[in-house]
Amino acid sequence: MAVITMLAKYKTTVKEPGIPGVLKMMEDVFSFTPNDPRSAKKLKVDFRNIKGHKFSKDGSKQALLNLTQVPEKGGGYIFEFNNFADRNVCRDFVGKVLGKFQTLTSEQTDQPSSGKVTASEKATASIEQLSTKEMEHRMKLLREDSELQKLHKELVFGNVLTESEFWATRKALLDDDSDRTLKQRTGFKSAMLADIRPSTDGQTNKVTFSLTPEIIHQIFSEKPAVHRAFLNFVPVKMTEKDFWTKYCRAEYLHRTKNSVAAAAEAAEDEELAVFLKHDDILANEARRKIRRVDPTVDMVADFSDDYIHLSVHGILQDGNKETIDSENDFAKRTLAHDVNRHATVVLEGRALDIELRDTRAVAEALARSKEASSVDTSDENANLGRQERAVRMTELEDLQASHSLPYASLCIKDPREYFDFQQVNALKALGGTGSRTIDYSLNTEDAYYYLLQQISEVKLQGVHNPVVQSDTALKVLTGLTQQISSTRYNLGKNPQESVLDRFPKRTKDEIMLHWMSIQELLRHFWSSYPITTAYLYNKVLRLKSAMADIYQKLKAIKDVQSDFRHQISLLIQPMLQSLDAAFAHYDAEEHKHSTKNGARLNGFVQ
Amino acid sequence: MKFKIDDVTVYFPYEHIYPEQYEYMVELKRTLDARGHCLLEMPTGTGKTVALLSLIISYSLSRASNRGPLKLIYCTRTVHEMEKILAELRLFLSHLPSELRSSLLALGLSSRKNLCINPIALSAASRDSVDSACRRLTASWVRASAAENPAVPTCDFFESFDRAASSSNAAVLLPSGVYSLQDLRAVGRERGWCPYFLARQTIHHANVVVYSYQYLLDPKVASIISKEMQKECVVVFDEAHNIDNVCIEALSVSVRRQTLDGAARNLNRMTQEIDRFKATDATRLRTEYNRLLEGLAQRGNLALTDAWLGNPALPDDILKEAVPGNIRRAEHFLSVLRRLVQYLNGRLETENVETEGPVAFVASVNSQAGIDQKMLRFCYDRLHSLMLTLEITDTDEFLHIQTVCDFATLIGTYTRGFSIIIEPFDQRMPHIPDPVLQLSCHDASIAIKPIFDRFQSVIITSGTLSPIDLYPRLLNFNPVISRSFTMSLTRDCICPMILTRGSDQAQITTQFGIRTEEAVVRNYGKLLLEMVSAVPDGIVCFFVSYSYMDGIINSWNEMGILQDVMQHKLVFIETQDVVETTLALDNYRRACDCGRGAVFLSVARGKVAEGIDFDRHYGRLVIMFGVPFQYTKSRILLARLEYLRETFQIKEGDFLTFDALRQAAQCVGRVIRSKADYGMMIFADQRYNRRDKHSKLPGWILSHLRDAHLNLSTDMAVRIAREFLRRMAQPYDKAGCGGKKTLLTQEDVERLPHDAMDLF
Repeated sequence: MAVITMLAKYKTTVKEPGIPGVLKMMEDVFSFTPNDPRSAKKLKVDFRNIKGHKFSKDGSKQALLNLTQVPEKGGGYIFEFNNFADRNVCRDFVGKVLGKFQTLTSEQTDQPSSGKVTASEKATASIEQLSTKEMEHRMKLLREDSELQKLHKELVFGNVLTESEFWATRKALLDDDSDRTLKQRTGFKSAMLADIRPSTDGQTNKVTFSLTPEIIHQIFSEKPAVHRAFLNFVPVKMTEKDFWTKYCRAEYLHRTKNSVAAAAEAAEDEELAVFLKHDDILANEARRKIRRVDPTVDMVADFSDDYIHLSVHGILQDGNKETIDSENDFAKRTLAHDVNRHATVVLEGRALDIELRDTRAVAEALARSKEASSVDTSDENANLGRQERAVRMTELEDLQASHSLPYASLCIKDPREYFDFQQVNALKALGGTGSRTIDYSLNTEDAYYYLLQQISEVKLQGVHNPVVQSDTALKVLTGLTQQISSTRYNLGKNPQESVLDRFPKRTKDEIMLHWMSIQELLRHFWSSYPITTAYLYNKVLRLKSAMADIYQKLKAIKDVQSDFRHQISLLIQPMLQSLDAAFAHYDAEEHKHSTKNGARLNGFVQ
Repeated sequence: MKFKIDDVTVYFPYEHIYPEQYEYMVELKRTLDARGHCLLEMPTGTGKTVALLSLIISYSLSRASNRGPLKLIYCTRTVHEMEKILAELRLFLSHLPSELRSSLLALGLSSRKNLCINPIALSAASRDSVDSACRRLTASWVRASAAENPAVPTCDFFESFDRAASSSNAAVLLPSGVYSLQDLRAVGRERGWCPYFLARQTIHHANVVVYSYQYLLDPKVASIISKEMQKECVVVFDEAHNIDNVCIEALSVSVRRQTLDGAARNLNRMTQEIDRFKATDATRLRTEYNRLLEGLAQRGNLALTDAWLGNPALPDDILKEAVPGNIRRAEHFLSVLRRLVQYLNGRLETENVETEGPVAFVASVNSQAGIDQKMLRFCYDRLHSLMLTLEITDTDEFLHIQTVCDFATLIGTYTRGFSIIIEPFDQRMPHIPDPVLQLSCHDASIAIKPIFDRFQSVIITSGTLSPIDLYPRLLNFNPVISRSFTMSLTRDCICPMILTRGSDQAQITTQFGIRTEEAVVRNYGKLLLEMVSAVPDGIVCFFVSYSYMDGIINSWNEMGILQDVMQHKLVFIETQDVVETTLALDNYRRACDCGRGAVFLSVARGKVAEGIDFDRHYGRLVIMFGVPFQYTKSRILLARLEYLRETFQIKEGDFLTFDALRQAAQCVGRVIRSKADYGMMIFADQRYNRRDKHSKLPGWILSHLRDAHLNLSTDMAVRIAREFLRRMAQPYDKAGCGGKKTLLTQEDVERLPHDAMDLF
């Protein structure tokens, strides 16, 4: 690509007058040199940093071109040109360059805007209002789906469809996706609180704990007693710092397994005792939850059905030896308990949407969300679901007859015959294509004359004897039958293997690409009928020419001599036929219009 | 589908059937025809339960005789298994023709704690207190006094049930169908009937009763619940690999210091009651005396609600004669009990471990406390009678004295197969004095004998009954059929591996003394860490004991291994608290359901290993850390081993290995539910590599244990696991290819030549 040098004014906002200078655009860089050499506003910007470009409408007050930049690098660059022609040259250049980057890297692109450039003049007006967000979203979609990207490149860059037309059929994709991305929330980390481990500096006896809002949130969810204590004590009774110091102290005591010291401290300090005591909220919650537990894992029910192990009865088994001294509430919490509690909380997920900054806010929001969840579904519903689940769990699925609906399997003995038949049907349905229908009303006389003519012709030229060399014919015939029968034998044996996989990769890709384009084009083509506006007429014209191109390409693929010629032609035949049908429809419509409107050339104007 | 085995039309609730299910049914049918007992080992994951249910019910439908149809008593080990059975039953019934379905009634039975809907009784925390709360509201004397004084609280649910039961035929109270505990409660709420007594009443008319082992095996419970069961019953013990232990536990009692203290308190309270009655209602005590004089130790027909746990001795062993004269008077009986408690207290003060036979013990009781064998033998019945006379309702308070009387009755009744062991402290914690006096039964055949005698057919079945010839000896019966089935597989859907070394090639084992070494602990941790990153969904780990699991988890936590494991999967741990464990299990399942993946750490002889399934995505891999031997220094175990050697000529080592490996096999066997399922099993201990150990695993696991999967190190195991998972992810032909069919359709079954089945 060449280098473009243009006079332009550089400005940071649309309103200001701008600095006059020279804008120079090269393949990957553009630079701006002010006329006034003292000015500091010298620019040299890599196109890779440019995300998109906007421009004012032809005929508006100013001829503007706005190059928007990647957000983290700051705003954009606005240039005002002397006239629209200059601007359009630059605009097209930028469009091409950006398009090139997009195709090269397939990342960090700005398709929608380059599409805008290449789009036909009429459509531009409608697209210009696209928000950057939407454009980004489209770009993302294209990046994620390489097939879509290919299609987009082919059709939109090939000037067959406009940007908006292309996306109009994919509205669902756009909407659905944006919703999903918004609603995703991050959960808790799987790892337990490793960061709250005390760190010592090794010299003094000081122990340091570090807490972040994230950790605090997790503590609140995992230990409701601490949460409640926080709501009760802070800031009425103590400051937040004191609260956490106490908490950490309790944790430390617990960690060092010094239960005597813990009990002693707790006796003196009732706030500290809160952290060390058995968590009654958890116990209540457990009691509530246990009622809804899946009966197939309900070991509590089992425990209460066990008359052999009366509380003071039966043989002691391994580990059943539990000397519970109920007076010591403290330090009964084990690591296993913590691990279970942590996993439960992670599984429940994070209910909060607020940003983790203020501890107090976190605590209150958590309290609110808990209140909301505690009045949830009734037991009845839970039981119903439980029963359904139990039934599902008991079924042995492989003994069951398959659940799918009954169907009659489609059996096409000869695909070619089938599609040809479909083709005739389609054409019949179209009607009006008189040129193709065969006139059966041939009278005997004509037939006789025709035959006579043939005979005389043969007489004149003499019969080639033999018409075809018999051995050549035999060879061709055996070759053909062998190939056809072998493919028939090979194909369809294995469901995983398709005809396509047997082709060379290039051919396969080509066919797939064409197939996708044809589908897209046909979708647009048929949706354009009936033609009511000039715009649609233009579109149909464009589509038709694009389809004609593909038609030629397909023909070319089909005609290439190769081992797979037969299969390829089988594959391509339906594509060609669908295109044929479209062409036939087009011709028929055209014909209708021209006959209806007589001499009027512009048949589309209604 | 519907097919015929000989002359019986079998209804099967699925479109297809596994060949082993068919064979299993054929064997079952023969057993029923022969009216004998059988022992069948069928691999887990082959639909054992549904085969059992459909054959037995179909059989009883076709053989409805004039003595009434054959009744099925299905015994499960746990309540959650009961729920599973009932769900399968419901599925089976829904596929029956409606005219047959309408004649079938099936229900589960559990304790009051699980069935009660009375809010007052239900608010009690433990099972025993629910029982006594119920008694407080429904005992016959309470109801009698409530009839006079409306202020006395009663249970509305029971009252309306009682009215309904007396007004109409009890058989029509429940319409036909399948009732799980949940359904019974729902029916109870809807009609205002007490579900517990409704169930108790209905089991006499039901075609299928599902309840726990002990309702048949434990004489205390069986005597009140299963007394009226007829001979025309087929009794099924499912998951019966541990049945000998249940039998033994049913006849064992342990007495501690707390028990004796409690018993002394109970005796004081009873003395007060007697004094009170003497002052107010002396005739009542005299009536009791006269009744005892006439030889009725047990009162004739007790009200349904008054019955309490029964005599701990087996029904045939209970003396049917008059209570000895010296304990007929309440005061005399109490003083006998006082002397007994005092004597036991004295015995507990020992500093050495003492082991004694019942005969010697009874002799020493006689000489030192002046209580002879006959008095001991009547202790329980006499106590029961006295408590009824005194109208004691808070039975949960009197558990202690009851335990002492249980003990006395058992030692008075049995002379063989028991021993009394007094230990001043637990060997594992010698510094904590915790004296315990245990009466332990060594002979499993004692408790199960009445079942074999009483019922027409007893079917003992499980996924792991290897070696199958040991069970008839342990339980002392002659099965008409004893057979172990193999599993015909469409693909190798289980992958057992024996892991002997860590990645650093150091040996791993839970051998005592080595198990806590850092290298072993780290290698075990590394194994888990590697596996959580390679295996999707759920992983279950079994440790040899709670204390070992606690220790190793703490070490992993300090080494940072636990944190690394958590990066991949959520971790849940079985604790000794059932509530917490249940919630952890529930959450574990939820984590597997939502795709998060989780690890469950559990104990091989714990509650989870006993009956929780880890099928499908709930368990793609089981790691068995170590060999789950019993604590071999335990006196009870030693005494039992000695007894086994003397009576059945079973070697100690053999029994220990057998016991450890059935436990291990049971743990790992829970990963497979059907042939469409798949799972891996890792036995992580070098001792498994020895032929005498792993050859004791059940045949269906052994047949998949390839030589290449022996003696692995961690990295090799990971590679095998990855390969296995990739292979399992491929689609496959469910019906089995080649000559062997693994899934039979209706036509296939009909085409099966019946003589061919004889060849097996």
